[in-house]
Formats: sequence, structure tokens, C-alpha cells
Amino acid sequence: MRKEVIGTNQLFAMIILFELGTAIVVPIGLESGHAVWLSILLALPGGVLLYLVYHDLSRQYPGLIISGYTRKILGRTIGWPLSLLYIPVFMFNGSRNLREAGDLLIAASYDRTPVFIINAIMVIAVMYILNKGLEVFARTAEIYLAVIFVLGFICSFVVIAAGLVDFKNLFPLHAADWRQAFRSAYPNIWIFPFGELVCITTVLPHLKESRLSGKTGVGAIVLSGILLCVTHAIEMSVLGEDVYHRATFPMYTTITLVNLANFIQRLDALVILTLIIGVFFKMTLYCYAAIAVTADLFKVQDTRKLAVPVGVVVLFSSFISAENYPRHMEEGGVFLRYILPVLCAVIPILLFIVHRIRKRFGLLR
Amino acid sequence: MKGKRLLLTVFCMLAVMLLTSCWNSRELNEMAIVTGMGIDKAPDKDEYRVTFQIVNPSSTATSMGASTGQPTITVYSATDRTLFGALRKTSKKAARQLFFAHTQLVVIGEDMARSGIDDIFDVFERSHELRLNATVLVSRGDDANSIMKILLPIESLPAMGLVKKVRNTAAIWGENRDITIFELINGITGEGEVVISGIRVIGDKEEGKKKANLEQTEVKAIPAISGLGVFKKGKLVTWLEGSEAKGVLWVQNKIDQTTVNIDTEGSEASVAVDINYSKTAINVELREGVPVFHVHIQEEGKISETRGFMDLSNGDEIAKLEEQLAKQTKEAAIRSIQAAQRLESDIFDFGNELKRLRPKEWEAVKEDWSSLFAQGKLDVRVEAHIRGTGMRLKPYLQNKDESN
Repeated sequence: MRKEVIGTNQLFAMIILFELGTAIVVPIGLESGHAVWLSILLALPGGVLLYLVYHDLSRQYPGLIISGYTRKILGRTIGWPLSLLYIPVFMFNGSRNLREAGDLLIAASYDRTPVFIINAIMVIAVMYILNKGLEVFARTAEIYLAVIFVLGFICSFVVIAAGLVDFKNLFPLHAADWRQAFRSAYPNIWIFPFGELVCITTVLPHLKESRLSGKTGVGAIVLSGILLCVTHAIEMSVLGEDVYHRATFPMYTTITLVNLANFIQRLDALVILTLIIGVFFKMTLYCYAAIAVTADLFKVQDTRKLAVPVGVVVLFSSFISAENYPRHMEEGGVFLRYILPVLCAVIPILLFIVHRIRKRFGLLR
Repeated sequence: MKGKRLLLTVFCMLAVMLLTSCWNSRELNEMAIVTGMGIDKAPDKDEYRVTFQIVNPSSTATSMGASTGQPTITVYSATDRTLFGALRKTSKKAARQLFFAHTQLVVIGEDMARSGIDDIFDVFERSHELRLNATVLVSRGDDANSIMKILLPIESLPAMGLVKKVRNTAAIWGENRDITIFELINGITGEGEVVISGIRVIGDKEEGKKKANLEQTEVKAIPAISGLGVFKKGKLVTWLEGSEAKGVLWVQNKIDQTTVNIDTEGSEASVAVDINYSKTAINVELREGVPVFHVHIQEEGKISETRGFMDLSNGDEIAKLEEQLAKQTKEAAIRSIQAAQRLESDIFDFGNELKRLRPKEWEAVKEDWSSLFAQGKLDVRVEAHIRGTGMRLKPYLQNKDESN
């Protein structure tokens, strides 16, 4: 089979859409009070460093995805089971995104549509695009990046033009706020959304000009970090700390408050669209990563065959995993604290260190 | 091959059914569009009596031919322990399901307001249909139910008409303001207290319900915006009127445009100044445990009318008027703050400001903030500027001293 190749622009678009994904609509960094925007900025350098670790590992082992070089670095006996861990985590995370999107859509507008139908329609789209392959996915990302930018621009413009932004809700920052912001930046925001980029390691080997992956990726992460920061700052400044933290969907609440000249109002559809687009790309990339790791570990030749099984597992685990939204959020807290950091940060950094040591002492086979 | 094509056809058909995505659909002719809600206490029970003002679509049509002679709105009400329960219970009376995305006005009955409003707004936050930017008013001396029933001249939908009234007076007169549910929720969760504009029916409210009432030049019942209701711990305690209400908005930095009649040497309140820019900065600090409220008002306006002779071409005269304007503004601001201090109700967000700027000091005083607020010292500074005198400099009246 021909190797699928993507361009740097496409990688750029994929990373941005993945980062924005759900992080732009749900409240993040719950412990940081009104300084949530600051914690995003604080977490950004960490996110960039983490990406550089992924990037370096992929440059050292060209053509291999995370499960490939894990086995090379740690040996087959440790590397294989360790890589196996990534499959359920990728799928579970994908299913969590799906669940969030489904629940928010139901809360925000589809109040009488069963969650199964909404999730199933989204999963069908994901399975379809995975069946078409990575190149198609990457091209779609390129197009939707423009769409997201336009939506984001319109939404921020109307919110600012409607005079809803109140900087009093963002400032001043006291020493206690800085401490709080730092606590919620590491590890929470560092891992979600920046650390989640560990999935991109399954895409990096497909990059046409692999030497540019560092620059492109860092650029995309910095830009998405800034976009996240601005968006959450706007949401916080409009809603105030109390409403922001109680809202399940702060971006939606923000946009419903817009009333520009009694004429431009009810722009909720734009936010719903942003949510659906973001979740679609995030979930697809998770599923793609799960498929790629599975194919690599079990030596499946035609990866497209795995699209349907992975999609079905994601769909069902999206609503089996939690009986209601509050439970889902609780689970998310545990997952974010104990499981994701291990897979997103600890293992890659460990691999990086082990690799360096072996290279230094010439232990590389 | 044939089987595959058949399968594809079936799949496409199924997809077509899904793609219309009409699972959640509600057609326009199955909806009753609610423009306003009135919330009262049910008599003798701890329940809400909720009144819904619903658009009557056939009589609001713009083409004259379709007019049915019915009034533009109709009103349903229901009582229940929860607002949501009441709005669903209304289905017994209404032929169509109520639709709330266009609700622009919520009127709270005075009895309800006096017994506490803190717990009524949850449904507005939780629902995706109800809007947080609906305007809230308190019906003064009356229940909300009767306000919702009154038809207005000029405005075909009374709820919209009332919203426009409060916005209109807020924009150019400045004793009231358009307060939304969102602001109220932020006020309730914050450290301060809230104010809500009042609405009062002038005239015969029974006549106001009839469409025939509109067929005359002076209607028998007219709802008018009246007073600013001050709340304490979620309960309405008093109404502020006139310059006190204006002073409240001045300190809250909510004055958009207003008019002040200022005194001159000879006569009282004889020069009308149209204030078209006003900005207020507040700062709070603790001095030996007692809060000091720094209020700094900057205002600009132009002279719109004068009742006697005054040489307005003379810059010194203008400076005198500016001084007088600043003095009167300061008095209004101080009177309103003192009124709030008497009630121990921090409606100016001074507490929030202290918490925001000096969180450590706030921790020490938050327990007995309302009594400390009442003891707080005032430091009000006003900078007033008069930038113009309109189309004339000197008035046409002659200076009596010169003509003698």
C-alpha cells in the first residue's frame, strides 16, 4: 500500500483543531478562579516542551509511531504491553469527547433527541472519514480551520461589539491568583488540552517534510494556546467568575447574551457549529491514533478495516462510561489526574531520557 | 452487484430520513410564543403564580386584511411550587406548547419581591430556551398578573413595549435602568445587593385589558416606569425616587444621558443641562477598619434651556454653572449613598470592589460588611464640564439690569 503523506499546512490545521476541540467550549482549569486565561498561558510553555519531546522521538525513529519506538527503546517485553495501554486510553478519551459533545448539544438545543442518535451520527461521520484515510482527514482539517477562524472571529467580534466585555472580571491578579493559576496549569491544563497531543505522534511519520514538524507543531500549539487564552478570557470577562464556573457550556451562555442593536442576537448556532467541528476533529484524531497503534501492534495491514470497530467501541463507551453528566465530569477529573499524565507526559519523557542515555553510552542496537 | 446496489439504495433512504434531523422539530403553528412572564406569590400558599403573555399571531399580522378583532396578546396563568412546573401546567389551558426563546420581560409582583426573589432565577439559567438577557421589573403596588394584561397604544406587544419604555427612560432620563436576569444573578451571587426598576399602572387597570381602551387618544390605563426598588438580602425594602434614584445610577456608572436643572443665583433650578457623557470610578479602602468609599464622577453636558437672562457667551458664567452642576451631582450621589447606608444595603458593589482589589482586607470585614457599609465614609469628587450652549450664546431675554 502507498504511504499516506500530509503537508505541513495540514498538520498545522490538525493540531489547532485538535487543541481547540472541546477545550474551547467547556470550562477548563476549574481551580484557577478568574485567572483561567493566565493558567492557559502558563501551561503553554510546558505544552510546547512536551511537543518537542514527541517531535524529537519521531525524528530519531523516522517512520515509526509511538508504539514503534517504545518497543525499540524499551525492548519488546516492556514496550509492547506499554504501547498496548495507549489503545484503550485513546478510545476512551475519544468517547469522552463524544459524550461531552452529545450532552452539551442536548442541553443546549436538542432536548428531545436521544443521546444515542446524536452520538451515532457523529460517529458515523468519523468512521466515514477514517475509512477514507488520513489524507482526506488532513485536507478536511485544512478547510475547517478556515471555517473555525471565521466563526471565532464573528463570535468574538459580536461579543466585544455588544459591549459585554468587562475587564474587572479579569483583573487584578494578586499573588494568590498567580499561585492558583499555576496550580491549575500544572498538571491540569498542561495535560488537557496540550498533553493530549500525544496522539499526533501517530501522524508525524506521515509528514512529507518531517524536518519541519518541529516548527509547524510549535507554531500551531502557540497559536492555539493564544486562541484558547483569548476565548476563555472573553468568556470569563463576560460571565464573571461565578457563572463561568457553574456553566456547563460557558461559550454558549456568553453568546446568548449578545444583543447588538436589537438585531444581531441568538447566534447560538455558531457556537454549536464550533462545538461540533472541534469535537469531530478531536475525536477523529483519537480514533485514528487508536487505529494506528492497534495496526502497528497487531500487524494489521489494512488499517481502514479498523475504522468501524473502533468507532463502534467509542460510540458505546461514550454512554456506558457514565450514567449522567456530573458523573462524567467526576470521572474526567480522576482520569485527568491519574491516567492521562502517565501516558501523555511520563511515558514519552521516560522514553526520551532512556533514548538519550542509550545513545550516549552507545547501547543502541 | 445488484444486491449491492439495492443495499446502497436502502442505505441512502435511511440516510435521507436522518438528514432532515427533525427529531426535535417544532413547527411555528404548534408554538405559543411567550413575550413576557409575570411572577407572583400565590395567595395563602407557598407557591408561584406565573402569568404568561402570549402573542396572538393572527392579530399581529401586518396586513390589515387578516385582522380578526382579537387583542394582540392573550394571558394564561398557573400556580405551582416551581416555575417550571407552572409553565408546564399551563398546557392545560393553552392549545399550543409555550415557547420561551422570545421572552423579553419578567415582571415580579411587589409581594413576591418583598418576600424574596433570590430563589426564582435558577430556571432561567438552566433552561436553554429562556434568555438571560430578559429585562426584570417589579410591579409596584400591584401584582405582576395585572401588569401582564394591560394593552399598550403604539406598541402592539405590551411586553416589548414595557421593555422599550424602561430602555428609553434609562437612556435619556436616568432614574431607572434596564436590569437583566443575568445582572441580577451576578448581583445575588456577589457581595452586594441589587436594585430593580419599578412599574406602576396609572389609571384603571380593568379598562386597560380591553382592546376598546386603545380606541381613544388618552388611554385609561398606562403602565409607567416608577422608582428604583432597593433590595436587601433578596427582599425588596424600599423604593428610591427622583434624584436619589438618579444618584444611585450615577454612582453605579450607569448614567447614559440625563438632564439636571441647576440653580442660579436668582432662581432655583432654572438652567437645564443635558448631560451626555458621564463616567464614574469607584474605589474602596479600609482605614482603621472603617471603609472609605471614593467616588469619582466625570460628566459633560450642554446647556439646553435657560429661564432667565444669563450671559452664556461669557466663559466665567459657564464656569460658575459647571461648579453648580458639580455641586448638585455630588449632593445627589451623597444622598443616594446615605439612603443605601440607612438601609444597610450595599447596592453600589462597594463590597465586590473591595474583595476584588484587596481580597485579604475583605476577608477580615466580610462577616459584618453590611453594618460596616452603613458606617462607611464618603469621598465624592465630581468634575463637571459644560461643553456647549446649543444654537445660541446669549438668550433672547434682555438683561434687566442693563435695560434699566
